[in-house]
Formats: sequence, structure tokens, C-alpha cells
Amino acid sequence: MALMVLGAKAGLAVLLLTAGGAKLADLSGFAATMRLFVPDFATQPVLRAAALGIALGELAVGAASLSSPGLGWVNAAVLAICCGFLAVSAVGYAWHRDRPCRCFGAMSKRTFNAAGLGRSALLAACAGLAEMPVRPSLIQLGVAGRLALLAGAVLVAGAACTAAAAVAAGRDTAPGWA
Amino acid sequence: MIRIPLYLAVAQWALLAALGVLVVVMFRQLGRLLSGSGRPASLGPAVGSQAGALGYARPGDDTVRRLSPGDGQPALVAFVDPTCPSCEQLVGVLDEAMAAGDLAGLRVLLLISDPPSYLQISDAFRSTRLEVGRPADREGLSSYRVTATPLLVAIDGAGVVRAAGPVTRAAEVRGFARSCLPEVPESTMAVIPAASARGRQPDESQKARRET
Repeated sequence: MALMVLGAKAGLAVLLLTAGGAKLADLSGFAATMRLFVPDFATQPVLRAAALGIALGELAVGAASLSSPGLGWVNAAVLAICCGFLAVSAVGYAWHRDRPCRCFGAMSKRTFNAAGLGRSALLAACAGLAEMPVRPSLIQLGVAGRLALLAGAVLVAGAACTAAAAVAAGRDTAPGWA
Repeated sequence: MIRIPLYLAVAQWALLAALGVLVVVMFRQLGRLLSGSGRPASLGPAVGSQAGALGYARPGDDTVRRLSPGDGQPALVAFVDPTCPSCEQLVGVLDEAMAAGDLAGLRVLLLISDPPSYLQISDAFRSTRLEVGRPADREGLSSYRVTATPLLVAIDGAGVVRAAGPVTRAAEVRGFARSCLPEVPESTMAVIPAASARGRQPDESQKARRET
């Protein structure tokens, strides 16, 4: 059981790092998706700033969750983010079906659909599982271990950003015009 | 003996798996690039090529209309989406150009891929007086190579693409409009038969020239 809890915790942290890094490579695209969910008066700079904030927030929570698994508030933040994903997926499925969600920037062509809703529900369930208590000795990390995990987090976020930029540069059709 | 906490081992595997997936994504892109299939596609149809016909429907109207390049009327076709900020800019510029009379003699069509209800989320799209349509079928669309939006395509009366690109500025839009309109000579020289000219009264300029 402990292995599943730790696996969910680490997996979600890495997923947040990947999503945040990929979004950083295409902030305008993500801002365009955000526009579907915000009131009309939100101007482009505001949307772009919000997109940047969300991407950086995912990176920060992902890095904190990965390197400090014992912090209770980080687990709660991950659960809140995953519940947010679920809510956005549900609203997207209801009102903007088959529009690109850009959850991983340009790296993924996934859209708001039933499968996406299922994936979000699975993530929320994993975040709930990661909240379960485990023996402290299993998650006790030294300074070196934390630094190594932070370095890994930076590497994954950077690789996600680069991969998303590479995919965006090589795409042959704009989303929606295929 | 050094004991590694279970979490550290699990987290390392998670990081390794994520890095592995990302490396595969990048190598796939690299492979496509080296093989030629992944080279970034150029935006818009080639200048000088024949523009394809398109079927489209106006929002709230199921009637399929046709854009038939080569029917004698030059056209500016803009591929735009209400969710794309640069597209809003282009729509605003096109509206202003139309109001100023810069697009006289041109058919201007805004084609969107977003659902018609999305027109409401953008001021520029909501207030535009230009014709808006949504492609009714994918036939003919591929020839326009819409790899990104906004894309403006200038088509002359013969159906030949005269310019294509991601323009958003007023001067660029005017340049596109000029490129597809038939050229008008700057001054017209009339040839008058000598016999009929001899019997005519001299005009003011001729009088002035004689006086000097």
C-alpha cells in the first residue's frame, strides 16, 4: 500500500512538472484555452499573466511535492489542483467538447472529451490516495536527496518545455483546422 | 550500509520515466525533421498557385455557400479564430480598412474553425461587419495550409494566390489588398485622331503654353 501511495505522490509531482514546463513553451495557446473559461472582460495581458501564473504554480507545487513529500500542505495543494483539473474537464466536456485543452501545451493534441474527463477523475483519485499517511521513515529525505530530486525536477521541466516547443514548431496544421 | 528511503527510489523512477517519455518525443521530432517529413510546413498557399474552392456556412445558417476563386472577383480570405488574440487584431484591422474604403472591390471572408457560439467571447468578432463563415467541409481546405492563425490570403480575380501570410498590421493588409486588385494605370493617355483634334478649341493648358 505504501508503495502505491508514494508512487501516486511522485507520479503526480512529475506530471505537474511536465505540464507546467510544457505550458511555459506555449503561453499564448494556453491563454486562448483559458479564455473559454473566464468572463469577457479578461484582457489578453491578464490572460497571459494568469497562464504564466498557472504554469509557474504547477512547477512550484510539483517541485515542492517531489522534494518534500512529508509536507501536509503540499499534498493538499496537489489535491486541490487535481480537483481543479477535474472541474475544468467537466466544464470543458459540457460546453467546449472537442476543443484542444492544451493541458501539456503543444505536446498533446488532447481535447475536452469523455476520456479526458476520466483521466482527470483518475488524477483526483491518485491525489486523494497520496494524502494517505505513510510511515515517516519511508519519506525521510536528507539534504542531498532533496537537492537531487530538485535537480531532477528542473531537468524534467526543462525537457518538457523543450519538447513542447519542438512539437509546436513541427506541427503541420493549426488546432481546429486539421 | 547506506539505506535509501523508499520514496527516493520511487521518485527517481518517476523522474526517469518522465524524462524517457520526453526524450522519445524529442527524438521523434528530430527524426521527422531529419527525414524531411517533420519540417515546419510553410504557412499558407504558395504565391502564384491556384486557390481552391471552399464551402462554408454562416453562423446560425445551415446554407452552404461557396468561395469560388477565379469567378472574376478578387478576394481576401482570413483564417481566424475568436480564441486567438492576433486574429482579433487582424479582424479589427480588416474592419477599419473596409470602413475606410481600402478594400473596395474585394470580397472579404473571415473563416473560423471555432464553434459559432465562440464569436460571442470576442469583441472584434462580435462587432465585425465582415462576412464570417465556418468551413462546411474539409475539401479544399488543405490547399490553404492553415498551419497557424491568423492567416490572410489574397486571391486575384483569376483565382491566383497573390499573397499569403500571418499579417496583423494595417499597412500589410493594404498591401495584400493592392496585390490582388487589378493594376490601375497612374495616368491615362488618350489617343485622339489628328483630324478631330484640329477642329477642337484649344484648352486652358494649351492657351497658357502659347502665351509663354
